[in-house]
Amino acid sequence: MAFVKAQKSKAYFKRFQVKFKRRRMGKTDYRARIRLINQDKNKYNTPKYRFVVRFTNKDIICQIVSASIAGDHVLAAAYAHELPHYGLEVGLTNYSAAYCTGLLLSRRVLKKLEMDEEYEGNVEATGEDYSVEPAESRRPFRALLDVGLIKTTTGNRVFGALKGALDGGLDIPHSDKRFAGFNKDSKQLDAEVHRKYIYGGHIASYMRTLMEDEPEKYQSHFSEYIKRGIEADNIEEVYKKVHAAIRADPTEKKSGKQPPKEHKRYNLKKLTYEERKTKLIERLNALNSAAGNDDEDEEDNE
Amino acid sequence: MPAGHGQRARTRDLFARPFRKKGPTHLSTYLRIYKIGEYVDVKVNGSIHKGMPHKFYHGRTGRVWNVTKRAIGVEVNKQVGNRIIKKRIHVRVEHVQPSRCHEEVLLRIKKNDQLKAEAKAQGKIISTKRKPEGPKPGFMVEGATLETVTPIPYDVVNDLKGGY
Repeated sequence: MAFVKAQKSKAYFKRFQVKFKRRRMGKTDYRARIRLINQDKNKYNTPKYRFVVRFTNKDIICQIVSASIAGDHVLAAAYAHELPHYGLEVGLTNYSAAYCTGLLLSRRVLKKLEMDEEYEGNVEATGEDYSVEPAESRRPFRALLDVGLIKTTTGNRVFGALKGALDGGLDIPHSDKRFAGFNKDSKQLDAEVHRKYIYGGHIASYMRTLMEDEPEKYQSHFSEYIKRGIEADNIEEVYKKVHAAIRADPTEKKSGKQPPKEHKRYNLKKLTYEERKTKLIERLNALNSAAGNDDEDEEDNE
Repeated sequence: MPAGHGQRARTRDLFARPFRKKGPTHLSTYLRIYKIGEYVDVKVNGSIHKGMPHKFYHGRTGRVWNVTKRAIGVEVNKQVGNRIIKKRIHVRVEHVQPSRCHEEVLLRIKKNDQLKAEAKAQGKIISTKRKPEGPKPGFMVEGATLETVTPIPYDVVNDLKGGY
């Protein structure tokens, strides 16, 4: 066996500086976080809210968060898995669902702060760039978009969520450069294309293409849609209904389930000293008896 | 080559980040709030190049006299010749920490207010002044036995036994 020189010596480990925990986990971009959280010192304790959008494989998480030394405080949150309450059960991570989640969050926040009558936002989603106008009594609710670690390309779903929040009535500084339908050459947002994406038009066109070319794939891919009777033509109506339902009642629905009193254990429980000793004694006894049996067998054989 | 007396002269070790604490600064530096009149320590963070104070002020403690968007105005004492001047500097928040020099006073103020309020409720008169440590109280010595020690007369014979 070849002699391999130990690469990581004790000295290496002694001098090793770990990155921040959330950086080690690859979850937080601290450079961006510092810049998002930093509040002007002459504004003292005024909270600075971030509109956080995160995508998992099957869910969308939208939150309004303010930072503090003890930990971030979430003012309101909306998840894509809540959309079934509003009539949307399939396609919970697409651009349209992101729009719905952003809209749901913004209506929820405004309702919580009793600003929902003042700031209706853009009721009819047209895909055009819409910014909230300040009303007479209170200034609009301001938050800063926090995308996390995703690549901000044109047409990304986080900007779908952003559009939903803007149309809901939040004041989030933005530009229309990254909305779906922005033309790089003409440097203009094509509102029609954006509107198509908000109402699932891109899904409808894919459905039509599949129906023509590969009907079996259409059946397998869109099986859940077909089960619920959602077809290429009535996708837009579905989303219109969802938007209306969200605006009608954005409050959270508490599920009837109560959290279990005893939490499920995911790791082994640590044994006490006595338990470990008794376990050892049992193991030794078992070994001895097994060895004893072997001896007896040998003696018997002999 | 001559010595060089620039602003950051001789600060190679002074402004260096401590061992295994290099890289981004933690967020609580940015989340702290400072009010006018509070005491702060000035401690330079070498990784933030903006808003650094001069090396003289590293380790000084002063009072906050101004709060701007990203920086704090600190009033620090400096001896110039035969007198002490109060110097007003502006420092970014990364180079400032809240000082604990005043912490004991503030706690005492709170406690005294509470004691005075209680005494007023009961109608008693109390003094909240601090008292310096007085002389230790007197005590009786226990278990003492007397052993009288007297000198013995000099005995030439016995002493010379060893060495003569």
